[in-house]
Amino acid sequence: MVNEKRPLEKHVGELLSGFIDGELTQQQRQWVTLHCDECDECRQDLARLQALRERIGNARLSEVGEDQWRENMNDPIVQSSRSIGWLLIIAGMLVIAGIGLFAFIFGSDLSIGEKLLMIAVYGGLASLFFSVLRQRLIERKTDKYKDVEI
Amino acid sequence: MKNNDMRQQLVQLGNGAHAMATQILGNTDDAADAVHDVFAKVLRKPHVYNADKGPFTPWFLRVVRNHCIDLIRRRHPGGVDVETLSDPGPGPQTSLEIAQRDQALQLALTKLPDLQRQIIVLRDYMDLSYAEIASVLNIAQGTVMSRLHRARMALKEELDRHG
Ligand SMILES: [Zn+2]
Repeated sequence: MVNEKRPLEKHVGELLSGFIDGELTQQQRQWVTLHCDECDECRQDLARLQALRERIGNARLSEVGEDQWRENMNDPIVQSSRSIGWLLIIAGMLVIAGIGLFAFIFGSDLSIGEKLLMIAVYGGLASLFFSVLRQRLIERKTDKYKDVEI
Repeated sequence: MKNNDMRQQLVQLGNGAHAMATQILGNTDDAADAVHDVFAKVLRKPHVYNADKGPFTPWFLRVVRNHCIDLIRRRHPGGVDVETLSDPGPGPQTSLEIAQRDQALQLALTKLPDLQRQIIVLRDYMDLSYAEIASVLNIAQGTVMSRLHRARMALKEELDRHG
């Protein structure tokens, strides 16, 4: 609805949004103010858009609170350092077990059975180590954020 | 950025990032998982962010958004143009905690095209500036006002129709 006394060339349109958001130049702001003084339609739109913005701002579009995020944030860190910790422990044990194995095989008078048992323990540890290592490497390779622009 | 500062910022951004992710993924649980994934990534490798990448907030939201788009692409391996994805799929899950008024708003949002939903959440829910919005959505800053205005008018119309 254009004011009849003083025809307005054009409604201000998207400038109403810029006006609400404080993103206009001073000149644009003046234009919107002057226009809305004259134009009922734009003045109504402005009021409605302002109300809408307020409604969205006060809405709860996410029901996850800050405490939940804080809690849930501790999760990945713990997990990742845990697996690094395991890796270090197992690596350390491997070294010790390796030295022990060497001593057993070449320097002891244990029975074959006992030597085999030792080798089995060592083999188990080694395979554990390599499976964790492999998993870490795969995680690294298939990191789902690798392609995300960061 | 110090790790503690980053954690504090992430805690504050969580809610808004979740609201945005919900608009993209159409499901609050998937959205929470997506935000959590990005938290994990950023905290595990805090050096992925540095000041060259601009302010933290738009950077972080951009990463969340890209991750969500990635998830959608994986859901539709045939290829989906997420920019023009107008079928919102299942609407955001309603929860008893969300007041009825907010539910009407949520519902109206699901009727809008994907990008319009996101731009409204970024501006009216998260209070980002136009420059920040342009950076999150990877669009020209000069187009933010018109896109936002169209989105608001569309939302207003939707709400007028249904409450
Ligand atoms: Zn007008």
